[in-house]
Amino acid sequence: MGKERVAVVGIGQTHHTAVRGDVSIAGMVREAAQRALDDAQMTWADIDAVVIGKAPDFFEGVMMPELYLADALGAVGKPMFRVHTAGSVGGSTAIVAQDLVASGVHRRVLTVAFEKQSESEAMWALSLPLPFQPPMHAGAGGYFAPHIRAYMQHSGAPDHIGILVALKDRRNALKNPYAHLHEADITFDSVKDSMMLWDPIRFSETCPSSDGACALVLTDEAGGDACAARGGNPAWVHGTAFRSEPTMFAGRNQVNPRGGNDCAADVYRQAGITDPRREIDVVEMYVPFSWFEPMWLENLLFCEEGQGWRLVEDGVTRMDGDLPVNCSGGVLSSNPIGASGMLRFAEAALQVRGHAGEHQIDGARRALGHAYGGGSQFFAMWVVAADKP
Amino acid sequence: MSDVEVMIAPNVIEYPFRRTTGPVIGAFFTALREGFVVGVRGSDGRVIVPPAEYDPVTAEELTEIVEVGDAGEVVSWAWVAESLDGHPFDRPFAFALVKLDGADTPMLHAVDVAAAEQMRTGMRVAARWRPARPGADDEVAEGVRYREGHIADIECFVPEGDR
Repeated sequence: MGKERVAVVGIGQTHHTAVRGDVSIAGMVREAAQRALDDAQMTWADIDAVVIGKAPDFFEGVMMPELYLADALGAVGKPMFRVHTAGSVGGSTAIVAQDLVASGVHRRVLTVAFEKQSESEAMWALSLPLPFQPPMHAGAGGYFAPHIRAYMQHSGAPDHIGILVALKDRRNALKNPYAHLHEADITFDSVKDSMMLWDPIRFSETCPSSDGACALVLTDEAGGDACAARGGNPAWVHGTAFRSEPTMFAGRNQVNPRGGNDCAADVYRQAGITDPRREIDVVEMYVPFSWFEPMWLENLLFCEEGQGWRLVEDGVTRMDGDLPVNCSGGVLSSNPIGASGMLRFAEAALQVRGHAGEHQIDGARRALGHAYGGGSQFFAMWVVAADKP
Repeated sequence: MSDVEVMIAPNVIEYPFRRTTGPVIGAFFTALREGFVVGVRGSDGRVIVPPAEYDPVTAEELTEIVEVGDAGEVVSWAWVAESLDGHPFDRPFAFALVKLDGADTPMLHAVDVAAAEQMRTGMRVAARWRPARPGADDEVAEGVRYREGHIADIECFVPEGDR
């Protein structure tokens, strides 16, 4: 953290959906950015710099899309940064933007993240066939299923935990008009009976492929004060952290990665949090496959190792539990990959601003936004609160 | 080493990308399919071709679609002595920035001439179009590439007198 306090004063997102056939990539990104500016009561001219992130360029096959998006984001003649950290990129991008304000380099920064999965082949882009080798994965699910198996085996978690998470997140999504999936008649049995894709991951325990974008306007303390003065309820940034580790090394714990642990410990230290379970009111974590909720509860130090699944089973992470997780419906209900991390950060900020609408947790004062990417190797987190740090 | 069997397998990586063009770029491609060219008017009155969705000066949304000519002036050019895969011709040609009549910005395309000596900055060139797609009752000719809403619907530019 630098010296300058940083406030989130504008938040925008698109209605996430399978195919945004009515807009180009530029039009979609623009929509989220315009909504964030409107929320911040600013115009394009008020922005000092733009920070943009998305998943790897070869997903849509547009190389360095930030160059062509400069017009759409009002960035002509202004500093523009591109951030690359795979699936965690939306979180990392917001952190780069906040660093530019915290360090005093810029006063008002627009940050945007997106993915247009309808124009891309993310699943097969992650499954490059190699001659003379058996195909190892079919998309991210094939990669992560063995990690989940290992978790189940070590923790003794029963099979229905994943179903409970999927059911919770998809039901939460019914309260979020921006969510991609709105499955009003989902039940425990419908999740249980859905097709097994990558054992133990069922179809209904898997994120969708979405088109969508998210944008934030971050300002210095004076900007946050001005927002507060007009009743805009800024969210104040209390801590940010990233960590990364290689995909493979001897002794690596892929279920409970060291990088995520260290990242969580760092962001809690910055925010003065010693007991995250008690001191954090609401969590938006990156859960693309249902089982990652109990796994990340442990990785993010909300409980002892091997106990995450018990919090799920006891209903602790439901909206009426004492540690609500993914009230927005999470990645399980909307996954515009590059934007998904920023959506977690944005939803955490919406909660502490009291702007989360039907999925608002009453009285939420402090929230954690979490993103991960690659082979559980890139981590980005922030803690935001209703009060100044 | 001659008795070692070397195993060889092809490894072709390709992705079927799709594009959603949106209302402005979509208008440009639709016009190409119909055999004409459009740009968009910017906040400073300039006609930008191909059209931009957002104003490069003010960042505002641009909506005023303007038809321009399909002939114009070569603003700059480069000679391609040896063509590569994916180029519009398998013989020497020029890449050129062509400012179409009525446009204020130049557009990149190919110019089909036999030798570099036939190219010069400021020369007049005109579009050579692919044929329109036949109607439902018309005969479709074998091996002909029809216009489909693609930049290659203009096959190339040629010196204006040669069209």
